[in-house]
Amino acid sequence: MAASNRPHPGPSFQSPGSAGPDLSSPTSSKKSDNSQIANLHPQQRPDTLQNSSSQLSISSNSWRANSVSFGSKGVRYGSRGGAESEGFSMSRREINDEDARLVYVNDPLKTNERFEFAGNSIRTGKYSVFTFLPRNLFEQFHRVAYMYFLVIAILNQLPQLAVFGRGASILPLASVLLVTAVKDAYEDWRRHRSDRIENNRMSSVLVNDRFQHKKWKDIQVGEVIKILATETMPCDIVLLSTSDPTGVAYVQTINLDGESNLKTRYAKRETLSRVPEKDMISGLINCEKPNRNIYGFQANMEIDGKRVSLGPSNIVLRGCVLKNTDWAVGVAVYAGRETKAMLNNSGAPSKRSRLETHMNREIILLSSFLVVLCTIVSVCAGVWLRRHRDELDIMPFYRRKDYSEQEVDNYKYYGWGMEIFFSFLMSVIVFQIMIPISLYISMELVRVGQAYFMIRDDKMFDAASNTRFQCRALNINEDLGQIKYVFSDKTGTLTENKMEFQFASVSGVDYSGEKTEYFGEQGGYSIQVEGQVWRPKMKVQVDRELLQLSQTRNDMKSKEIYDFFLALAACNTIVPIVVNTSDPTEKLIDYQGESPDEQALVYAAAAYGFMLIERTSGHIVIDIQGERQRFNVLGMHEFDSDRKRMSVILGYPDSTVKVFVKGADTTMFKVIDKSLNLDVVKATETHLHSYSSIGLRTLVVGMRGLSIPEFDQWQSSYEIASTALMGRAGLLRKVAINLENNLSLLGASAIEDRLQKGVPEAIESLRTANIKVWVLTGDKQETAISIGYSSKLLTSKMTQIIINNNSKTSCKKSLEDALIMSRKLINVTRASDDDASYVALIIDGTSLVYILDTELEEQLFELASKCAVVLCCRVAPLQKAGIVALIKNRTDDMTLAIGDGANDVSMIQMADVGVGLSGQEGRQAVMASDFAMGQFRFLVPLLLVHGHWNYQRMGYMILYNFYRNALFVLVLFWYVLFTGFTLTTAITEWSSVLYSVIYTAIPTIVIGILDKDLSRRSLMTFPQLYGAGQRQESYNAKLFWLTMADTLWQSIVAFFIPLFAYWKSDIDSSSIGDLWTLAVVFMVNIHLAMDVIRWTWISHASIWGSIIATCICVIVIDAVPVLPGYWAIFNLASSGLFWVCLLGILVAAMIPRFIVKMFMQHCKPCDIQIAREAEKFSNRIESTRNGEIEMYPPQR
Amino acid sequence: MRTFAKDAFRGERPWGDTVCDPWFSVHPQITNADMNQELVTNGASKSKRNSKKPEYSRFTQQELPAWKPILTPGWVITSFLAIALLFIPIGLVSLFASMRVVEIVYRYDQDCVPETYRDNVTSYIQNPLTNKTCIKNVTVPKNMEAPIFVYYQLDNFYQNHRRYVKSRSDKQLRNAGDEFSTKGCEPEAKSKAGPIVPCGLIAWSLFNDTYNLLIQDKVLDINKKGIAWKSDTKDKFGSDVYPRNFQAGSLIGGGKLNESVPLSEQEDLIVWMRTAALPTFRKLYGKISSDLKAQDMITVVLENNYNTYSFGGQKKLVLSTTSWIGGKNEFLGIAYLTVGGICLFMALNFILLYIFKPRPLGDPSYLSWNRNTSRQ
Repeated sequence: MAASNRPHPGPSFQSPGSAGPDLSSPTSSKKSDNSQIANLHPQQRPDTLQNSSSQLSISSNSWRANSVSFGSKGVRYGSRGGAESEGFSMSRREINDEDARLVYVNDPLKTNERFEFAGNSIRTGKYSVFTFLPRNLFEQFHRVAYMYFLVIAILNQLPQLAVFGRGASILPLASVLLVTAVKDAYEDWRRHRSDRIENNRMSSVLVNDRFQHKKWKDIQVGEVIKILATETMPCDIVLLSTSDPTGVAYVQTINLDGESNLKTRYAKRETLSRVPEKDMISGLINCEKPNRNIYGFQANMEIDGKRVSLGPSNIVLRGCVLKNTDWAVGVAVYAGRETKAMLNNSGAPSKRSRLETHMNREIILLSSFLVVLCTIVSVCAGVWLRRHRDELDIMPFYRRKDYSEQEVDNYKYYGWGMEIFFSFLMSVIVFQIMIPISLYISMELVRVGQAYFMIRDDKMFDAASNTRFQCRALNINEDLGQIKYVFSDKTGTLTENKMEFQFASVSGVDYSGEKTEYFGEQGGYSIQVEGQVWRPKMKVQVDRELLQLSQTRNDMKSKEIYDFFLALAACNTIVPIVVNTSDPTEKLIDYQGESPDEQALVYAAAAYGFMLIERTSGHIVIDIQGERQRFNVLGMHEFDSDRKRMSVILGYPDSTVKVFVKGADTTMFKVIDKSLNLDVVKATETHLHSYSSIGLRTLVVGMRGLSIPEFDQWQSSYEIASTALMGRAGLLRKVAINLENNLSLLGASAIEDRLQKGVPEAIESLRTANIKVWVLTGDKQETAISIGYSSKLLTSKMTQIIINNNSKTSCKKSLEDALIMSRKLINVTRASDDDASYVALIIDGTSLVYILDTELEEQLFELASKCAVVLCCRVAPLQKAGIVALIKNRTDDMTLAIGDGANDVSMIQMADVGVGLSGQEGRQAVMASDFAMGQFRFLVPLLLVHGHWNYQRMGYMILYNFYRNALFVLVLFWYVLFTGFTLTTAITEWSSVLYSVIYTAIPTIVIGILDKDLSRRSLMTFPQLYGAGQRQESYNAKLFWLTMADTLWQSIVAFFIPLFAYWKSDIDSSSIGDLWTLAVVFMVNIHLAMDVIRWTWISHASIWGSIIATCICVIVIDAVPVLPGYWAIFNLASSGLFWVCLLGILVAAMIPRFIVKMFMQHCKPCDIQIAREAEKFSNRIESTRNGEIEMYPPQR
Repeated sequence: MRTFAKDAFRGERPWGDTVCDPWFSVHPQITNADMNQELVTNGASKSKRNSKKPEYSRFTQQELPAWKPILTPGWVITSFLAIALLFIPIGLVSLFASMRVVEIVYRYDQDCVPETYRDNVTSYIQNPLTNKTCIKNVTVPKNMEAPIFVYYQLDNFYQNHRRYVKSRSDKQLRNAGDEFSTKGCEPEAKSKAGPIVPCGLIAWSLFNDTYNLLIQDKVLDINKKGIAWKSDTKDKFGSDVYPRNFQAGSLIGGGKLNESVPLSEQEDLIVWMRTAALPTFRKLYGKISSDLKAQDMITVVLENNYNTYSFGGQKKLVLSTTSWIGGKNEFLGIAYLTVGGICLFMALNFILLYIFKPRPLGDPSYLSWNRNTSRQ
């Protein structure tokens, strides 16, 4: 590639200005933050972390290596992006033969003859018409709950065990299965439909040396495909040539990773000049097996006997859209389900809510309780049989033997042991609902309902990005109410990631004065092109003085300013794109690039009259104060995270050559020639310090002129380095380092990474709610600290502990010192002042390398748990996950990670709850997240309001379901004790079945979705109320046992009051069964009614409605003449005793609960209780108390 | 073709969204460059139309009007007092009602076995030739007003035993055409002559002691009509179903039925077939429609046919008046009084609690974080 630029500069290399210093440019430091993750295989990230901690350090090291390669994105030297990764990864491992797939270019027959590569038709549907039933059933029965259902139903089919009628026992399971199956079928039908549309799209494919239209599904690996502008890639293709003479293609990857900016891809020099129709391209691509890493690709291509290596910058993935390029030709290497897009077509890993995990513990308890009940029944049955063993043959109510025939034989008697065994199994069937199967279904419905309200919450709608809240994981809603740690990414999460150029320091002069809005009548700088007005798309505020200086062109000062802005406009990888507006005379220039910092700088330069209007691979055109100038781009050294700077070599129209460098201040000052102007350097340093202290991101710009020998030397060494087969990246870096020295300082820029709206308030709320907020960022320490201040995470009163080491021993020492200090501080200050006891820990990624996964982790944990605030800067994506794991593995506290970029994915997946921000940096984070939203500040309503509600609702619902089912089972159990332990149920089998389906199902779900213990306002005003969830107040072992004790009492009341009331009477079993049914259902619903906090019409309807429904059902069942209980309810209800019994049961059952509840409410009120009272009676209190005690604790 | 393709391949498509909730998930609209432009140029109207802002409704914002009851001390005390005031009178009324019920319970299963058979009761009861008639006297303790109900009471007879309860065929009882549906009636389903009607263990073990009452040598009429539920005689037991092959087997379980009377008129059977809920139970035998005076001597002439001896059951004859609360049972009255008493006691307790340890409602100083800071 380097060769291609030779023609331009060749003769024009007398450089007079070579003595003068030149400028260069760094890429934003932010980008390193998010690009680092790139080369990690996504699937590798979370698992390895979870399983073995030791792998963390290894992978994080390997990440370092890779990140270097990714950091440099070829703009000009197209092959380089790939070549560099080759330098690191290819040199270490060549593609093994068995790991490779061989693709013969333009020879699909040969390509596909030996290997069965997937065709390009895709199939996301899970089922076909024939496989639907078995597969869907198979999948449904993966749930333990359904298996339990099934086993019970099967047991019930055995004649010996038939407790319920066949229909009655299968009905609930069948209905649940049916509903789920219908839902699955509908979803699958939708998938099939979209697959069909997708598969029938057309592309032009080279067949017999002509491009013909072909359906996507017929495309095969090895075929050559031509894509026109704005078309979508049908499969993963390796670029061969493009409409651009240098082989550049711009693609939009929005479908793949959501990033809307254009990315550049390159065709190889060896192929780009070929016209596929005319000269046969034939070659052999040897590439890796299909994998899901969308940022990685390794291959090499043999063409014309030459071996060329291919990297991620040479492949365009399915789903990308070709932009700003007329056409591109490529060869399909992965098709259909083997494309990277399709391989990534899997959801976020499913997580399990904490509450559910705890619930399972109680379910096991209930199961053992069930076993105990069944054992009691079967043992008693055994004893009973043994005691009556002599009478069993002819006992009128037993009749062991069948005397109807001449020969007397056993009638349904299987021997003593078997009878015991059968009665055990039968009791399992009768008591089956002790394990609340319906709970799992109710929980899902409740979560769907809760999700509905979260999605519909207009307080979590982001108008800027037009996104609603998204619930991607449906099973951890209630975890949101128990969060203790929030791990937040910084850029794009706390900040908007919309960089805005603020201040500049040019040769030691600070231009941070008054800002003019826009100048000119229309606003912004604009230029005239062929009668049209071109203006930058984004308007930037400008400094008036600097603007005036930039427009003059005579003195020394303006010369420096000229160079400075030229550097800003040129030293980057931004591509200007001219877009039409509704006004035909006006066009907008949209600067597309991967780094928002660079975009900001280019827009700033444009605002000062240095408008970049064209960039091709060989040159750039900059409109300087209305005067069009063309610069040859002779070379570029891209940003990498070791050098932390980038440089560009410009050939001026007057044939001088200058190198412009921009980069982070730490690395730039090392290469600046301080002997030239020490005052300027010092002044700039001061300015930089003041910029970064107000949270601005700073970059330093420098430049140097190159003499001809210097340039020639650079060019030859560059040539060698870029064509090297091994270690290319390292060589290139060496070349760059040799070039970037003795620079003269041009100035520094300050870019504001604006905080998102409401971030400081949100952090304040979270901290009041006793949630620890940790910020994990890839940014540098100073930026992180400054953002910490501006977001109110750090306050000036806090003591900062900074750990910033680069060896294990020094890490150990500073950790120990810090621990001692923090202990001292906390001891000293706890007694006196509240505020100063807060310790903030600031630690950087380098130190973490030595701490994570070593024995030092324990110390770090101890230290961090003492600190109110932890800031981790310069951390790699995997380290982020490692820090989350540090907390997650050592405490029971719930963790939440929030981030917006690909670099946050590992952290999001590691944390108990992962929240993705659908922001600027694509959808990787959203894809991996459990919840997604538009703004950081929505975290407050999400956690404090919805999380709190969800937790309260779910916790209560689980306990209530335990109670509800156990009550019914206990009533059945008591009766069994009075039937000779033979598992007769007085309650009809239909009522038993309908109990958890109709009688009591709806209210619990409705209350689980709708009940609110506190209003949104109270929850937002008192974030401390969130503590209820953190302390697990709604669901814990104590509450479980209390509930069970209550259940026991209620069951005793419900069973024994009728028993004694009807003892020695002529009551028949159906009538008393109806009484028990009604009593239990009324009790259960009234119990719920006692706990409902907000009675909306829906709660009224559901609770009273289900009581009425029960009555109707009981009446209907008793109106069937062939059932033994015919007309029982009418006879029963006509007696006064029934009503007295019912009333007595209800009151006696609820009294202990009522007493305990009232007593607790009065003597040990919980926060929620008081807040509720305050909500209702607040006016009265405000007037009486006059604010003696502030509702708010003092702001910390 | 191009627009078609664009629509089909929406942003999130290749990633699928199977994990999303299928009903409510919002597909974030990904704006590509063209759309951005549209948004910019066409301004507010367009963006308003495309806005995904959830429409406000009180339901979706969970702000439905609601009643939020809080039990203030006043309410607590009132509710306790109300319960007490309701329960104590009901308890007293039902206690009195139960006490007014006069009940004569006479256990005869032991007395009616002749001395000679005392050691071998089973052979006495199983032998069809022995004289089962037994004459005993009982005294009326108090005046009894008509109607007086005559019951037999069986103790320790598990009519709710699972195998027993299931051994019946309601279909067969109801419909003459269904005489063959004897499923579940084993071992009393079929005899050699055909299906047994009524089949099953329940019918087979029909109670067959008979009582005749004499008062001063005058026969006291026991009305045996109308002892069964009307619904049973009307709908449940068929008027065209006649007993067949009943008690024809080698083992006789109890009473026999007149084969010329339809089941719907066999009220003893109908009463018996309503299986009792509890191991000790009474069943209505008949009604006496004349009053009895205190100290009247009643002579009971009974046929002691039914075998409860083989499983240690007891048989009792019960004469009882009735009240609105049923028979003689003081349990409910006592239970109501207890509950009422407890409520009264709790009301007093809470009054004292609120007086001596008051807590202003909604007082923020009780909030845990305020308590903690004030302690420090």
